[in-house]
Formats: sequence, C-alpha cells, structure tokens
Amino acid sequence: MPELRQLQQSFMGYLLGEASPVVEQIESSADTSAQQRLDIYATGYRLRLKEAIMSDYGRLHFYLGDESFELLMDRYIDMYHSPHTSLRYYSEHIEALLAEHKPFSEVPELVEIARIERAFNDSFDSANCNTMKIEQLAQIQPEDWPEVRLQFHSSLKVLPCEYNSFPIWKALSEEETPPTLVKENSSWIVWRKELVSRYRTLSDEEADALNMAMAGGSFGEICKKLLDHFDEETTPQQAIFFLQTWINEKMVCQLSV
Amino acid sequence: MTRPFLGFGLGLRTEHYQYVLDNKPAVDWFEILSENYMVPGGKPLANLDLIRADYPMVMHGVSLSIGSTDPLNKKYLKDLKELAQRVEPHWISDHLCWTSVDGNNSHDLLPLPYNEVTINHIADRIKQVQDYLGRQILMENLSSYVTYNDSEMSEWEFLNEIVKRADSLVLLDINNIFVSAHNHHFEPIDYIRGIDIDRVMQFHLAGHSYSGEMIIDTHDHDVCDPVWTLYAEALKHFGAVSTMIERDDNIPEFPMLRAELAVAERIAADTLSADMLQIPENRLSGVA
Ligand SMILES: [Fe+2]
Repeated sequence: MPELRQLQQSFMGYLLGEASPVVEQIESSADTSAQQRLDIYATGYRLRLKEAIMSDYGRLHFYLGDESFELLMDRYIDMYHSPHTSLRYYSEHIEALLAEHKPFSEVPELVEIARIERAFNDSFDSANCNTMKIEQLAQIQPEDWPEVRLQFHSSLKVLPCEYNSFPIWKALSEEETPPTLVKENSSWIVWRKELVSRYRTLSDEEADALNMAMAGGSFGEICKKLLDHFDEETTPQQAIFFLQTWINEKMVCQLSV
Repeated sequence: MTRPFLGFGLGLRTEHYQYVLDNKPAVDWFEILSENYMVPGGKPLANLDLIRADYPMVMHGVSLSIGSTDPLNKKYLKDLKELAQRVEPHWISDHLCWTSVDGNNSHDLLPLPYNEVTINHIADRIKQVQDYLGRQILMENLSSYVTYNDSEMSEWEFLNEIVKRADSLVLLDINNIFVSAHNHHFEPIDYIRGIDIDRVMQFHLAGHSYSGEMIIDTHDHDVCDPVWTLYAEALKHFGAVSTMIERDDNIPEFPMLRAELAVAERIAADTLSADMLQIPENRLSGVA
C-alpha cells in the first residue's frame, strides 16, 4: 500500500506544518474547500497538544503569563512531535527547551519551576510498591549493616534548587503573588505517600545521605559521606535516624543486604 | 440473535470519580478510556479498581491506529492486554481510523480512503490484534471532515466489509453518523440501514458543535434532538444495543449526565418491548 502510506505521510506533514501536497488528494465541496477541511485537523492538532502542555504546567503558565506561555507552547510544538500513544507524556522535554532556548533560558528559575511541576505530575501515577515497615529494621544482623542498600519508591525525586523556586511554586499553587526571586541553594524532595503526593525540604546533611542512598550507595558509604558533617561517634546514629525517617514517610520499598 | 445487552452506561471521567464512589449511582455500566489507565500506578488505577468492583465495564481506546501503515505498536498492545486482564471488560473497542505514521502521533482520529487496498490492510491488522488479545474487538465509525479522491465506496460499505472480513464487531456512534452525514452530504438513515445488524454491539451518543458550514465532533454539548431521532431509528433497525453517552469537555455534574442517559432509556422503552430491554442477571461478571 505505497499510496496509503504516502497519503498518511503527507497528511501528517500538513498537521506538522510542513509543505505537503495532501490538499490535492482531498475533495472540495461547494460550501467548504479541501484546505478548509484539512485545517480543521491542523488546528485541532495544535490545540490538543497545547491542552496537554497547559494541563501539565499550570503553575509555570501562571508565572509566565498567557502571552509568554503561548510562545513557549508554540515553540515546543514546532520542536517536538509526539511519539507517544498518550498525551500524558507529550510535554516531557519542556525543561530542555526552557534551559536551552532564548528568551526562556535567560530566566533560570523557569527550569526549576517546571522540574517541580513534572515531579508532582510523575509522582501521581508512578509505579506502586509495598513500602517497608520500620519493624523490618530489627531483622538486620549487626554485621550486615554496612552492606545494607535501599530501594526507593519510584515517585521519589530530589530537586536541588539554586533559587527560591519552591516557595514560588507554592505561591503559584495557591494562586497567590509569588515572592521576589532570590538566589538560595536548597534541596527538596517530592514523592507519593500512598496515593497522595508530598514534598518537603532537605537539610544539606540529609540531602547528601539521600543522594548517596538513591545512587545505590550502601549504609557504610552513606556513613562515610556523613563524616563531612558529623563526628565519627554520632554519624551512625544520624544515618539510622535518616533511614528511619525515610521508612516512616513511606519512601522506601525494599532493603537489601 | 445473541447480542449481549448491558443496558445504559456512561463514560467514566475523572471529574466524577468521587461522586461515583460516594453515591454508587444507578448506571448499568461504565466505559473507560483505556489510555488513561495504561500508567504504572497511583490514583487512576486505584480508582479504577474501586469502581470496577461495583460496575461492569467496557474499554474504549483511541491509539490503536489500526489504519496506519506503520507496524502495529507491540508495546501498546501489550499494555492494552494487561489492562484488559485487570478490568475484565465485556469488550474492547477502538476507531476505524489511523492516528500515527512514521512514529508521529496526531492524537486525532484521522479518516481513511474507502477502497479495496485499505480494506485488505485493515482487516488483516484487526485479525492480528484479535489473535493477540484473544477476543473480537469493536470498530467505531468516526466523525470526519475530509473525503479522499481515492475513496471508491460509502463509509458504511467500507466499515461493513472490514468487520466482515476480520470477523470483528461494530461500535456505532450515532452522533458521528449525524456529523459525517452533514459534513459529507449523505442521508444518515442510509448509513444505519447499510450496517450488518448482527455485528453491532454498542452505540455511542454525544453532542457536537458547528464551525462555519461544518459540524465538529466536540463532545462538549448535550445530545441534540436530531441525534435522538436517529437513535430511535437505530433502535428500530438493530434492536436493543448497549448505549452510552460520551462527554469529554464542558463536563456537567454527574446527575445531569445521568438525567441525559434517562432520555436514552425512555426512547428505548418507547421504541422496543420490555422483553428486548431485559439485562441478563450475570452482567456483573467480566465475561461477555
Ligand atoms: Fe464515539
């Protein structure tokens, strides 16, 4: 069916805004031309993609305002086709566009706000797991502790920020005027506790420990990393304290020895 | 004629999850949008399981792209089959259209040229899908806005021939017949009379909007009077067919949609005998 394939390719080309001969294969009627008929599809294509981006990035939209957000969406649609069977994943490259293309790349907090929104969107329907219970820690033999490794809930994301993007995101979520932009390093986490997405800030110490644990580091390696912050005597207690916190907050799926 | 009759259903929409869970409204069944639940976990699947425990379901997809000249999407089919194992739907439907080519998805239901080449191509693909899923699937007619020069027959002849060759079934969208009849200048009743009675398993009803001389299938309004009239004609022709209303935009409160479904129930009661509209006792079970 080379004719059918060629027809589909030129129809898709028309939707994607490319030069396309497809109009010659469509019938006009007295009331509506072939071009007008095709444009119903071309207009619908962009509208649907825009709806998908808008539903994913409501806070970013609010922060940028309608005009700039419209520009962002038009750029995005020109740059990215949809390879997915669901619109749920269409907007996945928005951070790349924001980081790499002017005028958006000149406003550095935009990437951070978008990353926060994506972390929440992804946490909503990421894979379930039966999270660990704190009592399971008692089953670990003392000699096994240094080699203990953790497997985290798939929704858990550590979000390092160079600006006060999280307070800005929070104000936008509550439809309040966001605070003035300031440069301040901080780390946040987003995860889903049972069916509800959560977030909180991390201390520098906990951020170091969690990054090490999420990268597959053992309990021994986490302790070693924490020596940057604590003395040798208190370090294991601190590490255990973090571990208990993560388990109680239902971030940990499994523990392996 | 042994067509299973589920009664009168609605499209399950996220806006109504809480209402449905809290009130367990009297609706015979729900149609779910398959792609909304082809996700790893979280709330969508949790709500789906809770609502499935109380209602029969059918699965309706938009991304099978049965008419595409790309290879069948194996990952999509695998996810669809897994979802079907979870939901145990009475049946699975998608559209007689193409949605993607060269891996680019339009996220739209794009029409096909109605000719022998396309019929062969699609009948063969439907057979592959049915073999993989281990069940017959339903093909739905579209609303469309273009006619191709390459078309050699009416849309209903095209649909009929494909489902006959593939031994598949039909989901007849009454609103789409109305919309396409307007846009392409044919008589909707000719469409209805042209479809094999025994292959039709389900009806869709929906609202639409006007754009210039064309009608667009927007699912953002109530079902209009001419579509209700056509629905009554369809019931006369096909007998009792499981019927549901699709609403995807400008979504009203659940009780408003339920009231609209009651209109369909009344029209069916006025058109068919009570005998024909009996819902079998075992309808809560998964198997059709
Ligand atoms: Fe439909």
